Amino acid sequence: MGESSEDIDQMFSTLLGEMDLLTQSLGVDTLPPPDPNPPRAEFNYSVGFKDLNESLNALEDQDLDALMADLVADISEAEQRTIQAQKESLQNQHHSASLQASIFSGAASLGYGTNVAATGISQYEDDLPPPPADPVLDLPLPPPPPEPLSQLVVKVHMNDNSTKSLMVDERQLARDVLDNLFEKTHCDCNVDWCLYEIYPELQIERFFEDHENVVEVLSDWTRDTENKILFLEKEEKYAVFKNPQNFYLDNRGKKESKETNEKMNAKNKESLLEESFCGTSIIVPELEGALYLKEDGKKSWKRRYFLLRASGIYYVPKGKTKTSRDLACFIQFENVNIYYGTQHKMKYKAPTDYCFVLKHPQIQKESQYIKYLCCDDTRTLNQWVMGIRIAKYGKTLYDNYQRAVAKAGLASRWTNLGTVNAAAPAQPSTGPKTGTTQPNGQIPQATHSVSAVLQEAQRHAETSKDKKPALGNHHDPAVPRAPHAPKSSLPPPPPVRRSSDTSGSPATPLKAKGTGGGGLPAPPDDFLPPPPPPPPLDDPELPPPPPDFMEPPPDFVPPPPPSYAGIAGSELPPPPPPPPAPAPAPVPDSARPPPAVAKRPPVPPKRQENPGHPGGAGGGEQDFMSDLMKALQKKRGNVS
Amino acid sequence: MAGMKTASGDYIDSSWELRVFVGEEDPEAESVTLRVTGESHIGGVLLKIVEQINRKQDWSDHAIWWEQKRQWLLQTHWTLDKYGILADARLFFGPQHRPVILRLPNRRALRLRASFSQPLFQAVAAICRLLSIRHPEELSLLRAPEKKEKKKKEKEPEEELYDLSKVVLAGGVAPALFRGMPAHFSDSAQTEACYHMLSRPQPPPDPLLLQRLPRPSSLSDKTQLHSRWLDSSRCLMQQGIKAGDALWLRFKYYSFFDLDPKPPLPPLQTDPVRLTQLYEQARWDLLLEEIDCTEEEMMVFAALQYHINKLSQSGEVGEPAGTDPGLDDLDVALSNLEVKLEGSAPTDVLDSLTTIPELKDHLRIFRPRKLTLKGYRQHWVVFKETTLSYYKSQDEAPGDPIQQLNLKGCEVVPDVNVSGQKFCIKLLVPSPEGMSEIYLRCQDEQQYARWMAGCRLASKGRTMADSSYTSEVQAILAFLSLQRTGSGGPGNHPHGPDASAEGLNPYGLVAPRFQRKFKAKQLTPRILEAHQNVAQLSLAEAQLRFIQAWQSLPDFGISYVMVRFKGSRKDEILGIANNRLIRIDLAVGDVVKTWRFSNMRQWNVNWDIRQVAIEFDEHINVAFSCVSASCRIVHEYIGGYIFLSTRERARGEELDEDLFLQLTGGHEAF
Repeated sequence: MGESSEDIDQMFSTLLGEMDLLTQSLGVDTLPPPDPNPPRAEFNYSVGFKDLNESLNALEDQDLDALMADLVADISEAEQRTIQAQKESLQNQHHSASLQASIFSGAASLGYGTNVAATGISQYEDDLPPPPADPVLDLPLPPPPPEPLSQLVVKVHMNDNSTKSLMVDERQLARDVLDNLFEKTHCDCNVDWCLYEIYPELQIERFFEDHENVVEVLSDWTRDTENKILFLEKEEKYAVFKNPQNFYLDNRGKKESKETNEKMNAKNKESLLEESFCGTSIIVPELEGALYLKEDGKKSWKRRYFLLRASGIYYVPKGKTKTSRDLACFIQFENVNIYYGTQHKMKYKAPTDYCFVLKHPQIQKESQYIKYLCCDDTRTLNQWVMGIRIAKYGKTLYDNYQRAVAKAGLASRWTNLGTVNAAAPAQPSTGPKTGTTQPNGQIPQATHSVSAVLQEAQRHAETSKDKKPALGNHHDPAVPRAPHAPKSSLPPPPPVRRSSDTSGSPATPLKAKGTGGGGLPAPPDDFLPPPPPPPPLDDPELPPPPPDFMEPPPDFVPPPPPSYAGIAGSELPPPPPPPPAPAPAPVPDSARPPPAVAKRPPVPPKRQENPGHPGGAGGGEQDFMSDLMKALQKKRGNVS
Repeated sequence: MAGMKTASGDYIDSSWELRVFVGEEDPEAESVTLRVTGESHIGGVLLKIVEQINRKQDWSDHAIWWEQKRQWLLQTHWTLDKYGILADARLFFGPQHRPVILRLPNRRALRLRASFSQPLFQAVAAICRLLSIRHPEELSLLRAPEKKEKKKKEKEPEEELYDLSKVVLAGGVAPALFRGMPAHFSDSAQTEACYHMLSRPQPPPDPLLLQRLPRPSSLSDKTQLHSRWLDSSRCLMQQGIKAGDALWLRFKYYSFFDLDPKPPLPPLQTDPVRLTQLYEQARWDLLLEEIDCTEEEMMVFAALQYHINKLSQSGEVGEPAGTDPGLDDLDVALSNLEVKLEGSAPTDVLDSLTTIPELKDHLRIFRPRKLTLKGYRQHWVVFKETTLSYYKSQDEAPGDPIQQLNLKGCEVVPDVNVSGQKFCIKLLVPSPEGMSEIYLRCQDEQQYARWMAGCRLASKGRTMADSSYTSEVQAILAFLSLQRTGSGGPGNHPHGPDASAEGLNPYGLVAPRFQRKFKAKQLTPRILEAHQNVAQLSLAEAQLRFIQAWQSLPDFGISYVMVRFKGSRKDEILGIANNRLIRIDLAVGDVVKTWRFSNMRQWNVNWDIRQVAIEFDEHINVAFSCVSASCRIVHEYIGGYIFLSTRERARGEELDEDLFLQLTGGHEAF
C-alpha cells in the first residue's frame, strides 16, 4: 500500500503541478489575488464541459475553453477590486448571461467599437450553436477593467472543417495569430500556412499578409457578414520566393526559358531574389498581357492589354502603343486589396475561372467600385496576383517571408528533437509573447514582484527540468511534469504541443504551489488552479483525440486511462467515469456554484483516486488534493 | 654623366641631344635641350630639365608626355632605351593634373583639377573624393557634346562657374568633417558655396529652357549619349582631352550600392552629395524624357520635386549641428517651449492636449446620385475626430444628422480652381456597399485648407489633434498660392518671370510633353494631390523616394547601344542593364530577347572586327558588332556591371581596381 500510495501521490502531485503550470501559464501575473483566478478558470472549464455535452463537438468546446481562459486571464489582470466584485457575482449568480453575451460584453467592454464587437459575436454564433443555453457561462467579465486593448474573438476554420476560436487583440498581426495557431495545432509551421479570408457573398478570397493587423481587417466586415477566416496552406503565398524565376524570368526567353526555369539552382534563385528585393528599391516583375475586364455594372467582359508597373496597373487605350507615355492608369494599389475570385465563371459569366478582384477593403457588397479581371490560365493568374502584391507591399513581403522561414526552421528543428526538448525551445517564443502582449497592456501593479518571482521560478523550473525528471517528486511539481508528459503515452502529438504551451510559463507551478502551500484560505473550488491550458489540447489537427479525450484536460486524460488504471485502480475506487462525469455536470451547472467545481471534470476523476491517500501526500499537495476531492464530490453530488 | 666629350668637343660617349618642350602640348612651347644617353633614367632626365629651366617652382606634379606614343613616362627608373625613346621623340614636360570643367549631374559647371596621367578610373575616384561622393566606381566621365548652335550665341547667359581647382586634397586621408562639410570645403566662402551647390538640390529649371533642351525622340537618339563615355583604363591625355575641356560627370552604372545606409548613419549625414547628385541625374533623366513614365508617375515625381525644392529653399537641409551640440539642444528646447507657450496661450494647456479640435461650419454639399438634378445645398457640417456629420441647419445639430461619414480610408481629391474661386473637396468614402461620393464646397482658401487638411488626416485615421495638422494646412495654402501665381492671371503668361520668382511653375516639374498636354491649372491640383502622400518626408527621404520611384520604372537603368547582330541585316538596339542584356527592335521598341548576366559564361571582344561575342549557359552564343558606340564601351559596360556585382558590404569602400581594369580593359591595357 505504502508504495502504491506513494506512487499515486506522486502522480497526483505531478498532476497538480501540471495543473498549476497550466493555470499559471494562462495568467501568471494574476496570481497575487489567487481567489479571483480560480473561479474564472473553473468557469472556463465548465463551459467546455457543458458545450461538450450539448453539442458533442469537442473541438469547438475546447476552443471555447481556451478562449474563455484567454479572456479570463486577460481580464483577471485588472484591478483587484473588480476582481473581488466579480468573485462575488460569481458566487451569487451564474446563470443569467449567455456565453455569447458574456463574450460580447467582454469584447465590447474591452473598448471595441460596436461594429467590431458585433463581428465578434457573429463569429461566435457561428461557432457555438448551444452557447446561449449554458447558464454557467456567464462570466463575471462584464465589468471590464480599464482595458486599453480591444480584442476580438475570431473563429478560424481549419482545413479539417473544424474551427477554433481565438482572442485576437488589436495589436496582433497576422503573423502573431499564425504563431498562435501553430502552437495550438501542432502543424508543421511551414511557410505556406496562412490566414485566409473568404467572402462567400462576393466569392472572393485572399491571404492575410503576415504584417497585416488582423483586427483592423476584421473591423471592415459588416455585422451580419458571412465572411470567414481560414487557416490553411497555400503554396501561392510565398511562391515567388521559392521559385522567383517563374515570376521574374518568365516570358522572356520563350520556350527554352521554360526548361531553364525549372532547372534554376538555389544559388541563382537566391541572387535573383537579392537582386529583386534587396536593392534600393524592389523590382516588380515585368508583367503584361491581355486580360478580360468586367465592365462596370455590366455582365460583359472586355479584353484589354494590361501592364503591371510599380505604380499601378495600366492598360493600353485603343489605338495606342504600349509605351509608357500612352498608357492609361487602370488602378493604383494604395487603397485596394487583391483577392482571388472563385467561380466567377458561374457568377459573373467570366470567360474563365481564373479571376482576380481588386477592391477597397471596406467594400463588402457588390459595387461598381470592385474591379474584376480574368486571366487565361492559372499561371497567369498567379503571376498577376503575386506581381500586384509585390508592387503593393514591396520589401515587406520579403521580410514576412524571411520571418516565416525562420519560424518554420525553428519549428522543424525542435520537433525533430523530440517532445521533451521541444518544450524548452518553445519557451522563448511563448514566454516572451505572453509576457509582452498581455502584461504590457493590462497588468496594473503586482507585475513587478510577480515577475521577479516568476523569473526565479522559471529559472528553477528550467534547471530542474534539465536535471532530469527523476528528481521530481512531491516537492517540485514542475519536475515531474516534464517527464510525465512524455511518458504518459499520450498520442504523440499532444505531448509536444502541451509541453510547449506550458513551457511558456514554467515558473507558474512553483508559484501556484507556493501560494497554495501557504495555506490559502481560499475555498477549495477557488483554489484549484484551473487548467487554462485547454487551448493547447484542442488540436484541431490531431485526429486521434476524439472528443471524449478532449473533454477532460487532455493532458491527463488520454493517456491516463490505461496506465493509471493499473496503478491507481488497485487502491482507489475506480475513478469515476471520466467522460461521463462531465456530461452530467452541465445540467447541474445551472445550479451554479458547484458548477464551477464541476468544470474540472476532466481532472477530477483522478482526484477522486486521491481521496484515499490524502494522508500520504505532502502537506501542500494534500491540501490541494483534498480541495479537489471536495470539489469533485460536491460536483458529483450535484450531478447525481 | 651623359655628354662626356673630348677636348676638341667631340662627344665620346654615345650621348645625343633630347629636346623637351616645357608646358602643355603646344607647338610654341619653350623647350630645353639635354644631352642624354640611352641609359639615362627618366628620373635623371627630369632632374636635368628642372635644372635647365632654372626657375623656382613646384615641379612635383610634372612629368613627361611622349606625344607620338601618347604615353606618359611615369616610371622614373626606366631608361630611355627601355621606353624606346630616340632623339626624334616629341616630349612635353608638363603637369599631370590639369583643370577641366566638369558638368555635374545637376547641370552645374565646376572647375577642378583632374589627373591627366592616371587611368580614368583613378582620376574619377580622385574627383569623387574631392567632391565627397562615395562609390566612385559607379561614375564616369563623358565628353561634352559638340555645340552645334554657334549662331545664336547671343544671349547665353554667363553661368556661374564654381571653382575647386585650388583645392588640394591630402592623399590617403579620409576627409574629416568640419562645420558639417568635408574640411576641404570649409576653407573659403567660395568653396563653401560650392559645397552647397553640390549637396543641395537645385531649383527646378525654367520651363522654357526645358523645352529648348534637346530631348531624345527615339531609341536611336538615346544611343547617342553612350557613345561619348571615356575609357576607364586610359588617362585623359590619351583620350585627347585638353586642359580646360568640358567633361560630364555622370552615374554610369545603374547599380547604386548602399544608397540608404542603415539608421546609424542617415544618408544626409554621410553623403549628401552623392544622394543629391543622383537625385539630380534622375530628375533630369525624367525631365528630358530620357526615360519615359506614365502620367500618374510623373505627378508623383513632380510632387517630390516640389517638396524637395521647398525643403531645400527653406534651408531645412538638416543644417549640421554646430560645434556645440549641447547649446543646440538647449536652443531647440527653448524654441519648443516658446512654441508651446505661444500655441496654447489662449486656452488652457491641458485643454489643448486633451480635446480634439473640431470643425463646424456651413458648407455646401453635393451628393451625386443617379437621376438627381439637385446641386449643392447648404448644410451645417460638423467634423469631429474622423467623422463628418451634416445637418439641415445648425439648430438641428444636436439631433440626428442627415448623414454621418467616417472618413477613415477614404480618398480625398482636391477639386480646386483658384481663379474661378472654386474650392471643392471630393470625398470617396468607402462603405460596405461601395464608395459613396460627396463633394464639399468651401467658400475660400482658408476654409478649404482647414477642411482639406482635416479630411486628409482623417483618411489616414488621424484626427486634427495630430501634430501634422497645422503644417498640412500651411502646405495646402502654400500650394494654392502657387497655383494663383503659376497660372493665375487672365493675362495668362504661364511662364512669366514672376512665376518662377514667386514660387514654382508646375511646368518646371514635369517633362515637356506634359506641358503640352495639360494647362498649368490642371497640373497643379494633380501635383497637389500627389504631394499629400509625400508631404511629411524629410529632404533625404524625399530624394531617396524619388530615386526609388525612378528605379522602379520599367525602363530604368538601361543604356542603349546600336548594334548589328551577327547574321542580321538590320541594326538593332542592345540595352545594357545592371543584370541583363536586352535585344530590342529598333523600329518598334519591343524587347526581342533578354539574356541575364547570371547565365553568362564569358564574353570576348574581337578588336579587329569590332565584334563582341558572348557565351551564355546552355551553349547560347550571341555576337554583334557595335554601330553607335565603340565596342569598348559595350565591353566596359558589361565588365563594369560584373565588377559591381562583386561588391560586398563587408568590404566597404575599398575598391579592387585591378579587377575592375581587368574586367573592363581592352587588349591595349595590358
